[in-house]
Amino acid sequence: MADATTRRTPITTRLTYGWLGLVVVVAVVGPWLPLPDWNTVYDDALGVGPFTQGHLLGTDGNGYDLLLGLVSGARLSVFIAVVAVGLGGLIGGVLGIVAAYVRGRLDTTITTSFNVILSVPNLVLALALVAVFATNVDVTETIAPWRRVFTLIVSLTVVIIPILGRISRGSALAWTSREFVLAAQTMGMRTRDIIWRHIVPNVLPAMIAVAFLAVGVVIIAEASLSILGVGVADGASWGGMIARGRNDLDYYPHVVLVPVVVLALTAICTNHVGDLIRARLDRREARI
Amino acid sequence: MSLRTLGSRVAQLAIVLVAVTFGCALLARLLPVDLAELLLPVGTDVDRAIFRKQLGLDKNVVAYYLDWLGRFVRGDFGDIYFSGGTEPVADRIARALPRSVLLMVYTQVVSLAVAIPLGVWSAYRVGRRADRAINNSLFVISAVPSFAIGLTLIILLGVRWQLLPTLDYVPLSDGLWPHLSHMIMPVLSLSVGLVAVYTRLLRADMVAVLREDYITMAASKGLSNTRILWCHALRPASITLFTSAALNMGALIGGAIVIETIFATYGIGFEIFLAIQGRQYLAIQSLVALIAIFYVVFNLAVDVLAGYVDPRTRDRRLRG
Repeated sequence: MADATTRRTPITTRLTYGWLGLVVVVAVVGPWLPLPDWNTVYDDALGVGPFTQGHLLGTDGNGYDLLLGLVSGARLSVFIAVVAVGLGGLIGGVLGIVAAYVRGRLDTTITTSFNVILSVPNLVLALALVAVFATNVDVTETIAPWRRVFTLIVSLTVVIIPILGRISRGSALAWTSREFVLAAQTMGMRTRDIIWRHIVPNVLPAMIAVAFLAVGVVIIAEASLSILGVGVADGASWGGMIARGRNDLDYYPHVVLVPVVVLALTAICTNHVGDLIRARLDRREARI
Repeated sequence: MSLRTLGSRVAQLAIVLVAVTFGCALLARLLPVDLAELLLPVGTDVDRAIFRKQLGLDKNVVAYYLDWLGRFVRGDFGDIYFSGGTEPVADRIARALPRSVLLMVYTQVVSLAVAIPLGVWSAYRVGRRADRAINNSLFVISAVPSFAIGLTLIILLGVRWQLLPTLDYVPLSDGLWPHLSHMIMPVLSLSVGLVAVYTRLLRADMVAVLREDYITMAASKGLSNTRILWCHALRPASITLFTSAALNMGALIGGAIVIETIFATYGIGFEIFLAIQGRQYLAIQSLVALIAIFYVVFNLAVDVLAGYVDPRTRDRRLRG
């Protein structure tokens, strides 16, 4: 393992970072790119395949350009994933660390609540929450797009909280029993400072590794919800593109394949990054 | 597992179940709409008053929950309301559950049938090129969402080559091939990811077991590699695999929403989807509770069985 640090970065790792970087850059600067609006209709090129002149990834049956759709969809997919995992990690992390540090009844309560949430499959939970939060007093009234996005984020955050909460609790539990924490306690350091200076910096890497996996989970969950028809409005995210393309599966399979491949690639890359971080952590632990 | 730990596990699970079902009841009551008006849009005020009284909607959440629980344990899962009348959720479940269970069983059988030989072989060739190739490709595959595989299969097998039907479910009583041909694609979509997960789990444990002294002992006695791998190493190495497989059983019933929807299998997951689309909040409440019960019960079963399959489980945990 000694040469692991000196060895050159493997090509797969570089491709992974490259792809994720591209997705994030496109998501952030997308609106300022000199591109036509994603819902421009090219009625001279309905449902053309990939690598057509002027439409790199082709168009769907309504004449929407798929590349433009992907570029604009990246923004929403990445935004939802990052915010849901960030919020879920923050809340789950705080709960997990506090539970591990305080122990006792509080720990039991928090752990049980995590188990309660985890006992419902991810998607069922997200679906049920979306259904409840996105209900209007007047049933016939349509739901504003921003409210759909907000609802999605809240629901997916609830899904992420116990996943990251458990990780942070487990990791914090291991670190709390270390000698330097005991030493800090004996020297009379304030609890807040012990947690902030000694526990959090050690728990954070493990959480970040899992957070990357969670980003993949959320991107896939968001797409699944779109396929089920409760995601954001048609075509605005990658999942929305898949959902819309499903109707034309018989005639234009590439309309589904293109976003599916992009989505799968992104999920593979986030998993790979999570794995790399964990491998590095394991090496560090092994040295201690 | 001693009787005492078993007791505390059961108590814990009971708490989880009560909390989940209460959470469902709470969500149904938190809705900003009047359930009576939503579910009986054309009824008279008298109808609605009777409806509220029957379901306990006029009482507070706790009383409502207890009413619901009382009906639930007696097998009355509520009704689905539509313009022509009502349909008991229990009937829907009776139709959907066998489908979900079959889908789950097929998926597990296929996944394990592929994952076990692959995992054993890959552990046997650990570090070699074949092992690395298998491990890396499985890592990639494990990240691919099941609907991506499902949609790709539909495009290739269903649309392009017209080999398999893409929608609906046919019971086994209508013939073996019609039944299986409708199940192949959903099962494959769910299995591919599981094969990746299972193989990697088995490989990791198998590699550890193959380093143990008794394996060296068996090898030095002159036993064949096949015998060592399959008769001596597989059983102790498969505990994690079977734990994970059993947990997936609970998750696959109802958790396969997207696949059941894409292929219109009408299993439990699809029923949940329909209930949510049709705003049947009472049905949602019972269905989610049912899924949580499956999950929790399988969870407990795993813990109990693990002790029987591997008597060393306890001291292995002590050794860390």
